[in-house]
Amino acid sequence: MDEFQELLLILGVVPTTLSISILSFLLGLAIGIPLAFARAYGSKPVQNLIDVYEKVFRGVPELVLMLLFFYGIGRYIPIPFRNAFFAATFVLGLRSSANQSQIFRGAIRGIGEEQMVAGRSLGLSRIQSILYVMIPQVFIFSTPGLGSEYALLVKDSSYSFVITVVEIMAMTDWIRKATLDTVTPYIIAAPLYILLTFPIATWLDTWGSRKKKQLGL
Amino acid sequence: MVGYVGKQKKEAAGTVGRKMTDIVIECRNLWKIYGKITAVKDVSLKVKECEIKLIFGPSGSGKSTFLRCLAMLTPPTKGDVFLRGERLTREGVDLNKARARIGFVFQHIWLFRHLTALGNVELALRRVLKLPKWEAREKAMQVLRDVKMEEWAHHYPAQLSGGQQQRVGIARALVRNPDIILLDEPTSALDPELTGEVIDTLRDLAKKGTTMLIVSHEMPFAREVADEMMFFDEGTIVETGPPELFFTNPKSERAKKFMARLIKRTKRE
Repeated sequence: MDEFQELLLILGVVPTTLSISILSFLLGLAIGIPLAFARAYGSKPVQNLIDVYEKVFRGVPELVLMLLFFYGIGRYIPIPFRNAFFAATFVLGLRSSANQSQIFRGAIRGIGEEQMVAGRSLGLSRIQSILYVMIPQVFIFSTPGLGSEYALLVKDSSYSFVITVVEIMAMTDWIRKATLDTVTPYIIAAPLYILLTFPIATWLDTWGSRKKKQLGL
Repeated sequence: MVGYVGKQKKEAAGTVGRKMTDIVIECRNLWKIYGKITAVKDVSLKVKECEIKLIFGPSGSGKSTFLRCLAMLTPPTKGDVFLRGERLTREGVDLNKARARIGFVFQHIWLFRHLTALGNVELALRRVLKLPKWEAREKAMQVLRDVKMEEWAHHYPAQLSGGQQQRVGIARALVRNPDIILLDEPTSALDPELTGEVIDTLRDLAKKGTTMLIVSHEMPFAREVADEMMFFDEGTIVETGPPELFFTNPKSERAKKFMARLIKRTKRE
């Protein structure tokens, strides 16, 4: 096997790495937004509950969580946790939701209570004010944090190779074992990760900065 | 001047078929207490159709809190608020619906920063009144025209001057045709040279017979448009009367002192 074949093999699994990263990012977003608002506006018990959730998913290593969900919980609830791709995306998504919740909470604080009051003064309900007044601004405020969160997910998707997902890391490892070439596969994989993370993270960041400047946020 | 505005207002009232004796908003024995601090102390007040009432008084005396209680943006601790006879301080009232009928203009304007002037004015039409897009746009543009902000419709708040922002703020409050507009020191956060344009806008509203409760210290304006003025101090209404009373001979010592200071300041400017 020459270097070109190795490259092709690794490129072939890029979609898997990207799918895990993007899907877990979206799952983190879908859970993180409600968590952040419940943490900001909810009752004390709700706030405490979310606090515990965030601590668990930010504190426990994702490797531990993945093994737990895939082998542990998967043994009793095989559908869907015995599906390695699902288990990996699920764990990274939950972890990301804890991170994103914190990112959004900072943004909610930065935007301030005033925008919410102004929304309510028009007759918008609390949910409508969150939807039409807060969330669009929360996104603009959060772009730098969201960019690094996405980069983190791309990198952490590599953990999923321990639970048999064939993504960049797994393929790299397989090539090393098959060819006994301990250098080339890693030299291919490393810049690939950079290529997958930074363009999107940087784009998010510049878009956010431009928008913030325009809106005077 | 006062008579002229008053006459216009009566005519405007006639055209919409409402009587000037109708009470639009009323509060009875309203209290707002935060822990040990009593912000609003036993305030009762009525505003009738087409009437303009003006509240003034030292800063920190609870005027803003009072106005917010009246709009049910903060629930009063005790007492009742009625909007056209409907008690809003009752369990189970749809406060969103009630708030939709009360326009509120904030001291610090608080436009939605991610929306253009038009977007700010349109939002309630689209999401509260659920008007179709074209109709909301048409109405919003009409109101922006009324406050002379039509040209700036597609600008974001950050691209507008304070006076322009506040005129959009007024348009945002006005566009739903609320029963009353509550204005909380609409000019006091603006640079002195920008207050004029906002005052002109409010003067236009007064001529059209808009029912308003205004917290303001713009005394010449107050004298011109207000039907009644109320001196507010330490959480409550200390003295009520026609503007002329306050400009010539307020009864309470506190109002006298406060007026003297205000007039001195106005002369300096």
